[in-house]
Amino acid sequence: MSIEVRGVTKTFGKFTALNNVDLKVETGELLALLGPSGSGKTTLLRVIAGMETPDTGSVLFAGQDSTLKGVRQRKVGFVFQHYALFRHMNVFENIAFGLRVKPRRERPSKADITEKVNNLLKMVQLEGLANRFPGQLSGGQRQRVALARALAVEPEVLLLDEPFGALDARVRKELRDWLRHLHDDLHITSVFVTHDQEEALEVADRVVVLNKGGIEQIGTPDEVYQHPANPFVYSFLGNVNLFHGRANSGQIHLGDVSMDAPEHDTADDAPAVAYVRPHDIDISRSKNGQTIEAVVKYIHSVGPSVRLQLERSDDKSTIDAVLTRERFSELDLKTDEVVHVRPQKVQVFLDDYSI
Amino acid sequence: MSGAPITIKSKAIESTRSSHTTEPTWVRVVLTVLALGIVAFILVSLLVVIFSEAFSSGWGGYVTALKDPDSIASIWVTITTAAVVVPLNTIFGICAAWVITKFEFWGKSLLITLIDLPFSVSPVISGLVFVLLFGREGYFGPYLKEHHLKIINTEIGVILATTFVTFPFVARELIALMQSQGSEEEQAALVLGANGWQIFTRITLPSIKWGLINGILICNARAMGEFGAVNVVAGILYTIPLQVDNFNSDNNMTAAFALSSLLAMLALVTLVVKKIVEFITERHAVQPE
Repeated sequence: MSIEVRGVTKTFGKFTALNNVDLKVETGELLALLGPSGSGKTTLLRVIAGMETPDTGSVLFAGQDSTLKGVRQRKVGFVFQHYALFRHMNVFENIAFGLRVKPRRERPSKADITEKVNNLLKMVQLEGLANRFPGQLSGGQRQRVALARALAVEPEVLLLDEPFGALDARVRKELRDWLRHLHDDLHITSVFVTHDQEEALEVADRVVVLNKGGIEQIGTPDEVYQHPANPFVYSFLGNVNLFHGRANSGQIHLGDVSMDAPEHDTADDAPAVAYVRPHDIDISRSKNGQTIEAVVKYIHSVGPSVRLQLERSDDKSTIDAVLTRERFSELDLKTDEVVHVRPQKVQVFLDDYSI
Repeated sequence: MSGAPITIKSKAIESTRSSHTTEPTWVRVVLTVLALGIVAFILVSLLVVIFSEAFSSGWGGYVTALKDPDSIASIWVTITTAAVVVPLNTIFGICAAWVITKFEFWGKSLLITLIDLPFSVSPVISGLVFVLLFGREGYFGPYLKEHHLKIINTEIGVILATTFVTFPFVARELIALMQSQGSEEEQAALVLGANGWQIFTRITLPSIKWGLINGILICNARAMGEFGAVNVVAGILYTIPLQVDNFNSDNNMTAAFALSSLLAMLALVTLVVKKIVEFITERHAVQPE
C-alpha cells in the first residue's frame, strides 16, 4: 500500500515540528526518515500512523484520504522506540494480542492464533522463548518480539520509530541486516525513523533527509550520499571539510587551487564553499601550484584506513583526511610534517551555509 | 560509529566490592538494634497489651464482650461502611489516576492537590464540615428536612465522612505507579486494534493490579479504623473505634480491648497480605532466567 503525505504541518505550541511536508512512499519500499533530533522525523511517522493529527494537510493510504481515520482504522504496524511490550504478558501473548482483540467475526480461532504466533516466532528466531516475559529478554530479542507483534495483524504498512536506537553496536548491525532481509521477503511498505546516517544509507531503498520540520532531500542512498542537494545534507551524511573560496564562470578558486565547478558556470566571482569528504583529500609531499600547504597534526591509524588531522598553514583551520593504508605507508607521513593537500572531488555551494 | 561494545560484568564488580564502601560494622549493628528496638517496643508492647487485656477475663469473657449487642452493632456498621466506601474510593481512585496519568488537561495540578486534601485536613474538621453542610442547622439542612432525609447521625453520614477521609489512598498509590509506567503500552494496544475497554481491561488493569490491591488494603484498614471524622457525624451510631471509646468511658476495659483486638487483627492481616503482594510484585519484576 502506498502512503502519501500532502502539505502536512504540525505544531506543538510555538514549536513547528513539521512545516508543509510532502512525501510519497511507494508500495513495498523501505524508506528511511533521517534527521537530527528535533527535525520532525518521529512526528511525521506518528502523523502517518494516526497518533498525531496534522494541523493542516492530509495523509493518503493507497490514494484514499485517511487523515480523519483513527489509529485503529489505519491498520498499520507500529514498532515503538522502546518496544512498549506488554510487561505482564509473555512473548506468545504479546504477539497474539492484536489477533485476540479483533471483533468476534474477524477473530481467528484459537488454533489458528497458536499456529500464526508460532510461525511468527520462527520468523523472528525466538521459538524457544514463547513463555518468557519481556523483562527476561535482551534488547535485540525485545525488538524482534515488538516486530512480530506488529506483523501479527498483517498490516499493509509497517512503521518503526528508531528501531535500533536502544541497542548496542553489534546487535544493531545484526538486526538491521536481518530487517533488510525480512523486508526483501515480505515486501511490506515500511518507513523507519533514524538519526544514524549509516543505518539509513545501508538499510533503506530511499532516504528522506529532514531538518527543522522540512524535507531537505529525497533519494536513493547513493543519490543523497553522492549528490547531496544542499550543504545540510552534505554535512549530515558524514564528515566533511569546508574550503571557502570564490566561484567564477564554472571554476572555483580556493586560494592557489582552481577546480572545475560546471554547475556554477554563470557565477560571477561569488563567494562559495567547496565541500570535500575526508577520503577525497589527496596528500602529497610535493608542491605543484594546485595544492594547499598544511601540517600533519594527528595520525589515527586504526583499521583498514588511516585518519589524519591537518592544519592549514594559511588560516590554521583543520582538515580531516582519510588515506588508504597503502597510500599512507607509501607516503610514510610523520606528525608535524609539512605536506601539500589537494581536494580530489568537491561539491560547491554558492551561498555561505553555516553548519 | 562507535567501536566494539564494552560490556560491564556487574557480578564481577559486586564480588570485588571492598568493605570500605559500607559503614563500619558497629555503626550498622547499633542502628539496626535501635530501629528494631523502637519498633518492637512500641508495636509489640501495644499488641501484647491489647490482647492480654482482651483476654484478661479468659476466653469466655472475650467472647461475651464481643457478643454484646453494642459490639455486634458497631461491627456491623463498620463492615457495611467499609463495604460501600472501599469500592467507591477504588472506582474514584482508578478514574482519577487514569485521567491524571494518561491525559493532559487544564487544572490537572489542581486536581492532584485536591486529591491530597484529606491528608492535610484534620479528620475532625472534615467531619465538622459535613455537619455544617448537612446538619439540621447546615446549608442543606432545611432542604433535607423538607424531603425527610437525614444524613448526619445516620450511616450515610458515616459513609460520607469515611469516604472523604480515605479517598486519597487508592488514587495516590495508582498515580505514582501509572506515572512510572507511562502510556506507551496503551498506545501499542491501540495501534494493534484494541478498543478502549479492551485496553483498560487487558493492559491497564493487569499492569496496575498489585498496586491497586495495595491501595485497597490501606484504604480498607483506614476506613475501618477512622475515628475523628466519624465521631463528629455518627451521633448515636457507633463504629468499632467509636464503640471502643464508648466502652472505655464506661470503664468496661475488657470489652474495649476485645473490640480493639479485632482492629489489631485487621491491621496484622493487612500487613501480611501487603507483604505477600509485595513479594509477588517483586517476583514479577525480576523473573528468574
